[in-house]
Amino acid sequence: MNESLILLLIETILIGMVPRAMPIFSAALGETVDQSAGILNLGVEGMMLMGAITGLLVDYYYHNIVFAFLAAGAVGILFGAIHGVLVITMKLDQTVIGTALWFVGWGLSGVIYAAIFGISSAPPTVQTLGHIYIPYLSSIPFFGRFIFGEDPLVYILIVTLIVVDYFLFHTKQGLNLRTVGQDPRVAEIMGVNPYLYRYAAVIFGGLMAGIGGAYLSLAIVGSFYFDLTAGMGFIAVALVYFGKWKPWRVFAGTLIFGAVYVFYFMMENIYPKIPYEFYQMLPYVVTLIMILIIGTKARAPASLALPYVKGE
Amino acid sequence: MNMEKSIKEPIVKMEGIVKTFPNVVANDGIDFEIYPKEIHALLGENGAGKTTLMNILYGLYKPDRGTIYIYGKKVNIRNPSDAQKLGIGMVHQHFSLIPYFNVLENISIGLKELKINLNTNKIKEKLDRIMQEYGLQVDPEKKIEEMSVGEMQRVEILKLLFRGANILILDEPTSALTPQEVEELFKSLKSLVNQDKSIVIITHKLYEVFEISDRITVLRKGKVTYKGFTKDTEQEALVEAMVGRNVVFEEFNRKETNYTGSLKVIGLTVYGKGKIPIVNKVSFELKRGEILGIAAVAGNGEKELIDALFGLIKANEGKIFLDDKQIDNKPTKTRTQLGLSYIPGERLTRGVAAGLSLSFNSILHDHWSDPYIKNSLLNENEIRKFARKIISSFYVNANSEETLAKQLSGGNIQKFIVGREILREPKYILAVNPTSGLDVGATQMVRQALIEMRNSGAGILLSSEDLDELVSLSDRIIVMYKGEIVGSFKRGEFDKLRIGSLMMGKKLN
Ligand SMILES: Nc1ncnc2c1ncn2[C@@H]1O[C@H](COP(=O)(O)OP(=O)(O)OP(=O)(O)O)[C@@H](O)[C@H]1O
Ligand SMILES: [Mg+2]
Repeated sequence: MNESLILLLIETILIGMVPRAMPIFSAALGETVDQSAGILNLGVEGMMLMGAITGLLVDYYYHNIVFAFLAAGAVGILFGAIHGVLVITMKLDQTVIGTALWFVGWGLSGVIYAAIFGISSAPPTVQTLGHIYIPYLSSIPFFGRFIFGEDPLVYILIVTLIVVDYFLFHTKQGLNLRTVGQDPRVAEIMGVNPYLYRYAAVIFGGLMAGIGGAYLSLAIVGSFYFDLTAGMGFIAVALVYFGKWKPWRVFAGTLIFGAVYVFYFMMENIYPKIPYEFYQMLPYVVTLIMILIIGTKARAPASLALPYVKGE
Repeated sequence: MNMEKSIKEPIVKMEGIVKTFPNVVANDGIDFEIYPKEIHALLGENGAGKTTLMNILYGLYKPDRGTIYIYGKKVNIRNPSDAQKLGIGMVHQHFSLIPYFNVLENISIGLKELKINLNTNKIKEKLDRIMQEYGLQVDPEKKIEEMSVGEMQRVEILKLLFRGANILILDEPTSALTPQEVEELFKSLKSLVNQDKSIVIITHKLYEVFEISDRITVLRKGKVTYKGFTKDTEQEALVEAMVGRNVVFEEFNRKETNYTGSLKVIGLTVYGKGKIPIVNKVSFELKRGEILGIAAVAGNGEKELIDALFGLIKANEGKIFLDDKQIDNKPTKTRTQLGLSYIPGERLTRGVAAGLSLSFNSILHDHWSDPYIKNSLLNENEIRKFARKIISSFYVNANSEETLAKQLSGGNIQKFIVGREILREPKYILAVNPTSGLDVGATQMVRQALIEMRNSGAGILLSSEDLDELVSLSDRIIVMYKGEIVGSFKRGEFDKLRIGSLMMGKKLN
């Protein structure tokens, strides 16, 4: 391969990886906040699927992409709230409930889809989310489109990332939330209401998972099919470990995942002889290796997945 | 009496405080006052209700009855935030610090004076000022997990001062400190009082009481048994208030016993962190047909001694012989097969498998032996029969032997465990607080059962928080303090005042 081809390859990856990373990143950012408050949400996958189908339905029937995302976010919040009642108030096992929510979202999204569009007909399509090309800047070679030519939601999510990072590490409320994740008893003794913070966290987690799912159906695929997310929710959970509960590191992790994803699309075209499934496996294998290398040293919030029972 | 002090109005007045937990009246109509600029020592045996009373003042528990006045005004303290607003701060027996955070972060948690922005410079400035003012130094950027216990203690106190606490409650602050650290702590406490703070200190050590406190309140079984100025207090009176009067009456029919065989312990030593001995060269011989009591304030090595005897932890030095057979190098299974039984203090985590039925729980020690195993399979009929026997003999309130252990109340779990350990007919029993959490009737039944075991030839090592229980059941009592045996008494010579003094670190001359 000559130099210009490699440059082209890199540019393609740069341009392609951001949208590919976004659904996972959105969900992973929510999961980061969830886990920082001591809640393990294994239901992200299900919540993403519910967001994806909701977003698609609204956009398909009302042709309003803003409403579509809002509706997906609302369904995410609803699922987050249900999650909260089950694991915070009723103190049920977080692993079991998370798995149950995954199944519910997975099955329900498929059923809704089949009930409305049928099984055999061609999948409904919508226009994918348009990009903003900032004049001049987006024409800068190599980096132009990567930085100045993304769709609006990418910029919104980046702003959210900055806000969440600032919230967690530079505000009192963020410190309170992380305390609840470390030791809710201490939080209570220091005058912080652990239940309140945990509910706020699960609701944010649900919102971001719903948006992430809708991003996949509305900005990338422009459609929905059964099991659309194909494990991305679990990758999101894994990348929170990789990111050691720091939003910027989690973001970096999702970009790596996105890059590998784009890379496999390209290699598939260059070397079509290798089975397609092998390529499809790559991003997941890379994630696994990333976690193995870095995740072993990660230290989870001390009260992760433990319910808080007052007065014990 | 010191006239100046007696004229002052109390800043805290707790009146008629009652707090009941299932089966225990932890506080039974307590009146308690704190005066300005005093160090007030709150004393009492384990389980007397000290922590409960202070938790009520700090808003962690709601009293069933009683009133609290602060500066003469009736207040309703619903949670720790309310307490903090009233200037009350508490350092708990277990620290309330996040090990992963540094000092500044720990201080900022839930801090009312911060709005949104976590302004570390502002916090640091104020902390520096407070550290100057009270002479308490820590490194603000240091993580708690890298600190010594003494440093953590300082962080806890600084945390309270930072929130403007005027009344500081310290629950057993010295129990994990080195002597030098205790001295430093006391120096800071004295300087705090000079700067208009009031302090309540809970402790089990007599010399600390006389060194540091101005006034003393003693609790016993949820009631106030002594109140007075430290300088007017006699040590004897204090100990008596804690352990109760020496009233001896025989309530049990104890037979003369003469069995051969003994559990012999020679020079047993268990090291804790940093090679500090928790159990220090302990030697004794427990004969069959005898109850040997261990009197100790919790945390003086009595727990580790029993754990080492049963094989739950490894003794670093020393030997254990069961009927002349050396067992210190044997696993727990062998020890139980040789006839050792264990009634643990932590009933839910160590006494039963909470998620299993009572039948399975009845054979936790014996599931490999006759008659519970037949052709390598569990013999369910025999197992159920044994479980039913425990349930009926010890009046365990359970629907059937298939009820899960965790569905029982604490007291019934305790009865079940005691029943199991006794009915398996061991030669020796290690019993830790066997009647804790039981009502009066059940307590009597368990004590009676232990005496009968003794009469029929079992040797019982009894560790109990309740000195009265030790005195009424034991044939001999040994006292442990800081891991060592510091005294030994024969039945007939039991003197609760002397035992109590030894438990609290007083040397006998
Ligand atoms: N949350 C609780 N639930 C049930 N019982 C409790 C609870 N807290 C305390 N108790 C019981 O109330 C009684 C008093 O306990 P408390 O902790 O106040 O004693 P203490 O005087 O502080 O003893 P120690 O010296 O061992 O710390 C004990 O019998 C204890 O078992
Ligand atoms: Mg206590």
